[in-house]
Amino acid sequence: MRTSFVTLLAAVLGAAAAASPYAAGAATPAPDNAYLYIGWPNDGQVLAANRPIRVWFGLRNMGVAPKDIKFPNTGHHHLLIDTDAPAPGVEIPSDRNHLHFGAGQTETTIELPPGRHTLQLVMGDEHHVTFDPSVVSRKITVTVK
Amino acid sequence: MMCRTIVLMVSAACLYAMPACARTPAPENAQVYFIWPGDGAVVHHAFWVRMGLRNMGVAPKGTDVAGTGHHHLLVDTELPANMDDAVPNDRNHLHFGAGETEARIELPPGRHTLQLLLGDKDHIPHDPPVYSKRITVTVK
Repeated sequence: MRTSFVTLLAAVLGAAAAASPYAAGAATPAPDNAYLYIGWPNDGQVLAANRPIRVWFGLRNMGVAPKDIKFPNTGHHHLLIDTDAPAPGVEIPSDRNHLHFGAGQTETTIELPPGRHTLQLVMGDEHHVTFDPSVVSRKITVTVK
Repeated sequence: MMCRTIVLMVSAACLYAMPACARTPAPENAQVYFIWPGDGAVVHHAFWVRMGLRNMGVAPKGTDVAGTGHHHLLVDTELPANMDDAVPNDRNHLHFGAGETEARIELPPGRHTLQLLLGDKDHIPHDPPVYSKRITVTVK
């Protein structure tokens, strides 16, 4: 009964937002125990300016796949800089605050101007849409000086 | 038609005459390494292995995308003698064909060696093969 209600709700939501093929009701499900985290740098870390910053993408109980690849329980990493994470089932923007790693990368190097910055990871499915529930890391703050 | 025939002939030549050219190319600067544990680490019998990869991406088995592969963890064994074959699938060769970049493994007490080897969509090492340094851990 509950399942059918959820299905109905999903159908209604899907119909209501028919303009977007990736409406909330269509979000790819993620494993309940998927755990995404930034392995490096640490929260509160002070980093040297004018030097590339390596960022490690940590992911447990889920796998990595490049964009456009549909494989159960996989997605690809997105690094959010100085911005908030999108809601579940939303296509992740692609701009200087939302870096996409659609080639299956599991680390990167970035450069940041001096000051305080926030970093956060969010997984996207093969269409860059966030999962439901969203697989998102804790947001950390680093200081570049 | 002619073109297709030539392609088929070349493919056949690759498959039968020159097996080496069938291997998936890897970027020259690709590097696979252990983020954790470090060489010489003392660990509990169950521990997380964090697999690091630079200048390449991770893709599940069966995925044909250039510059990608999936991790294999070699436990207490050496690199395969023949890199043209698929990485064996047994207790000494753990496959992470679902695109995993971390794994929780359990080992009996004692000294063990660990090494990472990337495989392509068919579990065959790339050309050149992408493998990590072989490290030693002690399980207490």
